[in-house]
Amino acid sequence: MYRYDHYDKTLVKERVREFRGQVERRVSGELSEEEFKPLRLMNGLYLQLHAYMLRVAIPYGTLSSKQMRVLAHIARRYDKGYGHFTTRQNIQYNWPKLAEVPDILDELADVEMHAIQTSGNVIRNVTTDQFAGATAEEVEDPRPYAELIRQWSSLHPEFSFLPRKFKIAVTAAPQDRAAVRWHDIGLILKANEAGEVGFEVIVGGGMGRTPFVGPTIRDFLPKEHLLSYLEAILRVYNEYGRRDNKYKARIKILVFEKGAEEFAKDVEAEWERIKDGDLKLPEGEFERIKAFFADPNYETISEPVAAYEKARLADREFADWLATNVAAHKKPGYAMVTLSLKPHGGIPGDATDAQMDAAADLADQFSFGEIRVTHEQNLVLPHVRKADLYELWHTLDAHGMATPNVGLLTDIIACPGLDYCALANSRSIPIAQRIAQRFDDLKALHDIGELKIKISGCINACGHHHAGHIGILGVDKKGEEMYQVLLGGSGAEDASAGKITGRGFSEAGIIDAVETVVNTYLARRESKDETFLETYRRIGMDPFKEALYGTG
Amino acid sequence: MTQHVLIANDLLSGAIVYRTADGWSPKVNEARVAEDDAEAEALLAEGKAAEADNAVVAAELIPVTAEAGAVTPNRLREVIRAQGPTVRTDLGYQADFRN
Repeated sequence: MYRYDHYDKTLVKERVREFRGQVERRVSGELSEEEFKPLRLMNGLYLQLHAYMLRVAIPYGTLSSKQMRVLAHIARRYDKGYGHFTTRQNIQYNWPKLAEVPDILDELADVEMHAIQTSGNVIRNVTTDQFAGATAEEVEDPRPYAELIRQWSSLHPEFSFLPRKFKIAVTAAPQDRAAVRWHDIGLILKANEAGEVGFEVIVGGGMGRTPFVGPTIRDFLPKEHLLSYLEAILRVYNEYGRRDNKYKARIKILVFEKGAEEFAKDVEAEWERIKDGDLKLPEGEFERIKAFFADPNYETISEPVAAYEKARLADREFADWLATNVAAHKKPGYAMVTLSLKPHGGIPGDATDAQMDAAADLADQFSFGEIRVTHEQNLVLPHVRKADLYELWHTLDAHGMATPNVGLLTDIIACPGLDYCALANSRSIPIAQRIAQRFDDLKALHDIGELKIKISGCINACGHHHAGHIGILGVDKKGEEMYQVLLGGSGAEDASAGKITGRGFSEAGIIDAVETVVNTYLARRESKDETFLETYRRIGMDPFKEALYGTG
Repeated sequence: MTQHVLIANDLLSGAIVYRTADGWSPKVNEARVAEDDAEAEALLAEGKAAEADNAVVAAELIPVTAEAGAVTPNRLREVIRAQGPTVRTDLGYQADFRN
């Protein structure tokens, strides 16, 4: 894991000190709310429906057990015993008290964490594949590049007042688990024909009220030019991005209005000017960063692992969990384990302080002290010996984190919605809970197979409804919660935006509507191997519409 | 005539508070109900003054229906703010002030 150097440490500690002073001045009345609001937002502190909300950055979703214990401690001491992991791989606390926030930030700074740039029109926390560094699929670990982007973008003076917020995601695997085509900038690390490693650069993806799957503006960028190219993109955006209309200010609108080719020309012209300047990656510095992400001390293990194979054959429930929550590791004898934060009837992404502590303990015991947060609101132990899986599974089950549903219908992304969020029009969480309760039968769930449901409580799309195989968008219709259904979205390497089926459904009707869609898929799929998305793409919207609304 | 109460967030805790006859309460049932425009304007003026005094933030009028001592916000958003998250009935005012 990356460790702060002297500059990082000083910067974060000074920032806490500065914010402590600002809070004191706010409490004393020296600062008005109007003056204080931009300052608190710069430190991740929002005001939501019931209370303040603090969003803490988890750079590229990577946590040490020590950091996770501090997150648990904050939940326990300063909040109401839980936190909420988000689709940006961050964590949010829903009930912090203003006067205590500087203390929270101090405790975070002690473990090299902060809430800087988790709000505002700046470059936000960079996200990546939760399996980075552990999967055999990738050409190279993307995290050192994500760290490089973190350093470059932290308090970047030129980009502290962008037209709108800016999100960057990086992946290095052909299977996209970071939704890179849905970001302002998506980066795919890959090798060219000569075997050199570089980036495919995607710009202008985004959700919200105008969804765009981002186009590629450069097929291959030599990796040493990463930062200068990003700087060129941000400069073009900073200069030409619209500032007159909040809803047209994201880079996706600029790329769309200008056209991807024209936009790319502007970027290339700017890049030509700066590419051999200060931002060109010095090999020594990159190697220094990369060393922090070196493999842990894996044991040499030969497969098959007898105890694991025996347990797999003997225990059906264990086998079900393995099928969904455990993925292949690059090292023989190891596996990557997803801890489901989607217990049926629970709140997607919420974890109690006890669960966070348990995850930290299990990371120490079984995964070299390392934990990841996924954009689908689960946790991952990335390096577990197969021989330990059976014991790990039992312990996870005792802590409510072993629901065997990762990637299945009940592994739902849901935004906080109207239960917490000041922007929401309708609730998201209760819909997720009731869908999970309706599809509670595990055998049926596994039979349905991969099906991603994503729910947003307003058009801002924090719940990624555009990218759901089934997306649900909550709207307000004359004071009533109504839910629109979208079909055919994808956040993966085959990214696509879902299409609305037709008129929305009431809170009571939406669960039946989802079941109707699922039943239509089951009736129409060519085989058990054809996923929901494949069936939808083969047969199109009409059969689903007919099932939902009839032929009339 | 739509009835209104004044809602705000307490500056220090962020918690929901309602303007009462002589101060603030976390209980919507204790809120002072404005029956007409003049009373609503008076409430709002008190909210703005409290903002200026740095006691509360985000003071605003919300429509309610007050009957037999029970005040019910008209919009779901405000019902949720009055009670707490519907998915965590162990939290918020519904938990803190359950009879």
